[in-house]
Amino acid sequence: MDLVLENIPFLLKGAYYTLLITVVSMFFGLIIGLLAAIARIKGNRFVRNVARAYVSIIRGTPPLVQIVIVYYGLVDYGIELGPLTAAYIALSINIGAYVSEAFRGAIQSVPKGQTEAALATGMTEKQAMRRIIIPQAIRYAIPPLGNTFVGMLKETSLVSVIAVTELMRSAQLLVAQYYVYMPFYLSIGIMYWLMSNSY
Amino acid sequence: MIDIKGLYKNYGSHQVLKNLNLTIPAHQVVAVIGPSGSGKSTFLRCINGLEEMTQGKITVNGHEIDANASKKVWQKAIYAIRQETGMVFQQFNLYPHKTVIENVTEAPIVVKKMQKEKAYTIASALLKRVGLSDKENVYPSQLSGGQQQRVAIARALAMEPKLMLFDEPTSALDPELVGEVLKVMKSLAEEGMTMIIVTHEMNFAKNVADRILFMADGVIVEDANPKAFFKRPQTNRAQQFLQQVTEF
Repeated sequence: MDLVLENIPFLLKGAYYTLLITVVSMFFGLIIGLLAAIARIKGNRFVRNVARAYVSIIRGTPPLVQIVIVYYGLVDYGIELGPLTAAYIALSINIGAYVSEAFRGAIQSVPKGQTEAALATGMTEKQAMRRIIIPQAIRYAIPPLGNTFVGMLKETSLVSVIAVTELMRSAQLLVAQYYVYMPFYLSIGIMYWLMSNSY
Repeated sequence: MIDIKGLYKNYGSHQVLKNLNLTIPAHQVVAVIGPSGSGKSTFLRCINGLEEMTQGKITVNGHEIDANASKKVWQKAIYAIRQETGMVFQQFNLYPHKTVIENVTEAPIVVKKMQKEKAYTIASALLKRVGLSDKENVYPSQLSGGQQQRVAIARALAMEPKLMLFDEPTSALDPELVGEVLKVMKSLAEEGMTMIIVTHEMNFAKNVADRILFMADGVIVEDANPKAFFKRPQTNRAQQFLQQVTEF
């Protein structure tokens, strides 16, 4: 226990990175997800299929695989990303797929009469979407997005494999240094739990 | 003002509208009545393009929409028509995330790019006209059905339309709230607004409309003067219908 207290600053720094990665990925994920949701609902056949393939591939493959593809795989094509950048990119793309499903459900739960009312006053489809449908859809989307956010927070532990010193890897480093496992892993478990419940 | 030629509307193999032809001059108040499923609402919604017609041609204020036109030409005409045409729905369809006055200012600001202050001045005047000055800053959910429908009328009027379409505007209202909405509609008619009203309010149709269109099974069965129509309908179908709605 003393070991944990002694190393709390180090763990807190890891927690800081966990939160940072979560917030940054969620931010870009929201943008990607909204675009993908609109693409799936309003796009022409080609755009719809691209968006559908994106959601299907991302949701059908493990996030760990996605992370190593972005970080290690792209090196084969001469793209070398820093670990943190690779983490942002992989997780934003990952979370975007889940966010888009939340948004799609939300957009579809806005009654059709709302679009009709907006169109009847002369708005274009785009204006109706932006001014009338999306503001209402966001309210419907908040509960599922909360779940997605918590899921993202926990998923960030996977980027420990590409040497990002977030909370998980902080613990692993301490374990390697002191040769005790439980106190460190238990501590970060508690820290994840606290963060998940206080967003 | 409105000219409709050879209007057909199919849903799959089901024909909802079969060859409608008519002309509606400016300032006329037309009540469309008939049994449910007769195509009344579909007819109304074809005029502002909420339904795409299968075949035919509709001209509103010189803007022509043609079922055979390219998507682009069709879109352009339909935007022009919608900007000059107000529509009131059975379910009100007010924007729940906006206050009453924001519901009214929305289209002028977004579609006409009107200055905010000007839009609010116009909206205030319209809300006063429908008797809801004291409700400007509340949300639609806090209003009764009759009040919501009056806001919806103000919202449509804010675009200064030349034509108003009403799709069963009182059918979703409690009986005691019907009158306040009809009163607003009557005053609009008296000011010379061109109106097409799909309704089940026979007394309103009789007393306010200039013309009755009686529809059944996708065709206009009778096109008549209200007094004549209600006194002596010419067809069996209309006689039957009037008997059913007046008898109990």
